[in-house]
Amino acid sequence: MSPQPQAAVGAPLSRVDGPLKVTGKALYAAEFDVDGAVHAVIVDASIGRGRITSINTRDAERHPGVLRVISHRNAPKLPYRDNSGSNNPPGRRLRVFQDDRVLFHGQPVAVVVATTLEAAQHGASLVEVGYDAEQPSTDLHKGKPGKPTTYARGDADAGLSDADVRLDLTYQLARNHHNPMEPHATIARWDGNKVTVWDKTQWVVGTHDEIAAVFDLPADGVRVINPFVGGGFGSGLRCWPHTIVAAMAARETKRPVKLVLSRRQMYFGTGFRPSYEYRLRLGSDRRGRLSAAVHDIDAETSSYETFTEGVMVPGQMLYSMPHVSQAYRQVPLDVNSPIWMRGPGFASASFVIESAMDELAHKIGIDPIELRRRNEPSEDEGKNLPFSTRRLRECYTVGAREFGWNRRNPRPRSKRDGNWLVGMGMAAGVYDPGRFPAEARARLDADGTAVVESATSDMGPGTYTSQTQVAADALGLTMRTVTFRLGDSLYPQTGPHGGSATMASVGTAVVDACNQVRKQAIKLAVEDRESPLYGADAGDVVVRGGRLHVQGTPSRGETYRSLLARHNRSHLEARGSYTGPPTPERESYAAYNATFAEVAVDATLGLVRVRRMLGVYDAGRIISPKLADSQAIGGIVGGIGTALLEHTVTDHRDGRIVNANLADYLVPVNADVPQVRAIYLDGEDNSGNALGVKGLGEVVQVGVAAAIGNAVFNATGRRVRELPITAEALL
Amino acid sequence: MYPFSFTKAANTREALNAGRSGGRYIAGGTTLVDLMRETVERPETLVDISDLPLREVSVTERGGLRVGALVSMADAAAHPKVRALYPVISQALELSASAQLRNMATIGGNIMQRTRCTYFRDVSADCNKREPGSGCAALKGFNRTHAILGSSDDCVATHPSDAAVAFAALEASVHLLGPDGERSVTFADLLLKPGDTPNREHALRQGELITAVEIPSLPRPLKSGYLKVRDRQSYEFALTSAAVALHVRGGVIREAKVAAGGVGTVPWKLSAVEQALTGERPSDHLWAEAARHAADGARPLQHNRFKVELLTRTVERQLRTVGGTK
Repeated sequence: MSPQPQAAVGAPLSRVDGPLKVTGKALYAAEFDVDGAVHAVIVDASIGRGRITSINTRDAERHPGVLRVISHRNAPKLPYRDNSGSNNPPGRRLRVFQDDRVLFHGQPVAVVVATTLEAAQHGASLVEVGYDAEQPSTDLHKGKPGKPTTYARGDADAGLSDADVRLDLTYQLARNHHNPMEPHATIARWDGNKVTVWDKTQWVVGTHDEIAAVFDLPADGVRVINPFVGGGFGSGLRCWPHTIVAAMAARETKRPVKLVLSRRQMYFGTGFRPSYEYRLRLGSDRRGRLSAAVHDIDAETSSYETFTEGVMVPGQMLYSMPHVSQAYRQVPLDVNSPIWMRGPGFASASFVIESAMDELAHKIGIDPIELRRRNEPSEDEGKNLPFSTRRLRECYTVGAREFGWNRRNPRPRSKRDGNWLVGMGMAAGVYDPGRFPAEARARLDADGTAVVESATSDMGPGTYTSQTQVAADALGLTMRTVTFRLGDSLYPQTGPHGGSATMASVGTAVVDACNQVRKQAIKLAVEDRESPLYGADAGDVVVRGGRLHVQGTPSRGETYRSLLARHNRSHLEARGSYTGPPTPERESYAAYNATFAEVAVDATLGLVRVRRMLGVYDAGRIISPKLADSQAIGGIVGGIGTALLEHTVTDHRDGRIVNANLADYLVPVNADVPQVRAIYLDGEDNSGNALGVKGLGEVVQVGVAAAIGNAVFNATGRRVRELPITAEALL
Repeated sequence: MYPFSFTKAANTREALNAGRSGGRYIAGGTTLVDLMRETVERPETLVDISDLPLREVSVTERGGLRVGALVSMADAAAHPKVRALYPVISQALELSASAQLRNMATIGGNIMQRTRCTYFRDVSADCNKREPGSGCAALKGFNRTHAILGSSDDCVATHPSDAAVAFAALEASVHLLGPDGERSVTFADLLLKPGDTPNREHALRQGELITAVEIPSLPRPLKSGYLKVRDRQSYEFALTSAAVALHVRGGVIREAKVAAGGVGTVPWKLSAVEQALTGERPSDHLWAEAARHAADGARPLQHNRFKVELLTRTVERQLRTVGGTK
């Protein structure tokens, strides 16, 4: 860390953009007032696989206000340059309106552009599409898996057959959709050969690169703008087909085009957390010391791209054991491509592993926390690296104490409250945060205020606020005199806003830029005969509230303003960077948690109601405690959804998603969210970034579903190995 | 959304005239507008009836209760007479939808709301209710939330209303005003089982207007209540529900009114359960025995088999909650 006093970092501040948001002044992608914009509505395929045989657009084109109907019959051929960046998974990405193939139910087959939204919507319903339909394959259990990705250490089969205690458990995890409040939306405007796109995205840089690749434009031919994101949870991590549709429609009609996905279209127009079938075989001795695990993991992907996520990692490093084998197989189906969703891979794996650990603890008759302690590794046995920091034991201790774990009766069905059976459960969580190269620019103006810019995003965690905190301390300014800007591809480049990577990556670049600016100012001062700081050791000068002074001698100093005025400087500026973690990695760097749940299950009606939840987090330094609480609560709410409610249902007869709306796809409502508490272990992890953070946004959802499932078992004696856990499983 | 014309009726006669020539009545619009957006409903003319004088709740001469068709769900639920005389109605209303919807939606519209069957609401799916003869996608599709009672091979969609379950239990009737004058029909005759014409959902004639729901006078004291079972705790339609009203005098159940929701193609009156209760003394044993008849005649589907057992348990629980003991 810098020698600068830390005034803003660590303070429980409210969001700097809060007033803009609550007064409606924060502009989201669809809200930009782009002069002359017309509206586009996509026509979705109503078959799950096959070919388009006819498209009748006559009625649509005759409808007043309709400007154009574009389909593969009349769409321009787009270059679709290769782009392995932009979070495009390996494969051949969906190319809009380039041929007559239908790859999944809901695929865009045409777009109607009209002068009003109403005309475009009605026009879209008037387009008649004829198909030659084929039987789609959308059932994970009936698909043909691809080549597995494998991992092995020791001899897992032998280890398993030698084990005193063996478990063989298969879990089914439902597909989940992100369902952010704000629908995905794009406005595209061409000025000659250059296109400006306002797009809901968690990564303006990735969307920029994809649009440049699809239309074969030079880097300066594309600008992507998105200052505010109304929730993402991962759904904005790549550029989806509708963004290309909007840009194409704008070019064809020579008008700016606005395209907003309907809630229904969000279920096939953007990605999802894939469904899994996960078989886990565990072997241990009679005291619970694990010896072997065999993981057979099947996950859905699309027929055209192979999507993967970090589902293998927890099985390699969460617990110590000599023998592990894993096979992770993607099953290509006639569905659209998945995308990472909060706690991607780790949340799915942790439900399986942590449920199985609970089963093992019960089987051999020891406390679930004690079982985990007995298997705590001393190093990362997957990477063969020491841990930078790993404080799971403390998470268990603090969590057990604060949650009242000693009141849990290990015997299921032993606590009753009227009609309700009450139980407690817990689970461990881990998330391996991303870290990527990032850049930021800081400018200190003559009036003593500063602007810091980076092409990152704020999907909700509070990037605006937390980066302002970091910048304010590094510059020695107050929060109010620093403005942080994001969401424009013209700003210094960063990786995606996801994977809990933003504070470590962008934050480090911001600190670097601000440190440079501060040091420039200090250098000016100590070399300036007219400055009270003349001759001071630059290393002894700190800045506080915009005033430079010698550490320990506050009276000897001057303000940025007077310094810059005397030097006739309009501003000082610097570009900072973060180059990513050291390669090869020297330490295993991950965030951890212990999550506790108390649930009540109606003994006759089978309804599960969560009563209390606690998360204890080993997430390194907490930059912004108030925002951290929002993250923790949000992650736990998401976990309640995964555990008890969320399930995207596909009708395998034709590949249709039958609950593509928020009345039938259930997310928790306020009444479902109980008392939630978050505790952060005090400390920092300085292995890979200047700020000592480990990232919080993902790990908060990892382990939640397992803690709830384990509590359901403690309450009822019933093991439900299928998510979500609904009444029919408990009747 | 298909283009439509919109008129506002200043009085009942204007409304009836517009209705007779094919206009569709709209009040709160909480279902109709949704369905128009999905192009499931394509009315050519909407007739806004929200200015009509149908917002009164009054006690009838015979001691029953008359609730105007345009009383909002929220106002009906909160009305002191409704609360005092028929808690089952208040509870059913308050467990419905969300606060925002209850402020907009009316009692008449609540009864007339259309099914939540997702295939009905998806115009690219087969649905006999929406498009007679196209088939029923739900029958062999995803049918966890669908009906186990009153269904046919042509339709397995549930009636979604909670309030209508309470009305059906209490044997309410609906007052209608049409071009040919006034009439009233009982709940049992108002909503139609699908049979082989699932597109015909109710007994209203062209242009008829619901003016009020009347709950008959029932012997006092009357204990009543509504239980709604669902996956999440608010803002969801019922998996199962039970409306129960009991009149107990001298330790004997003299009158029992019971109906179930979330399980039927129409609000499902449980006559066999009522018969099993009438003349008996309240006991846990009686609740269990009576509830055993709740799912009589059930035709479960692939994903809603659990509703048979869940319905039985829901009715038993609610009989105990209203009738006491244990």
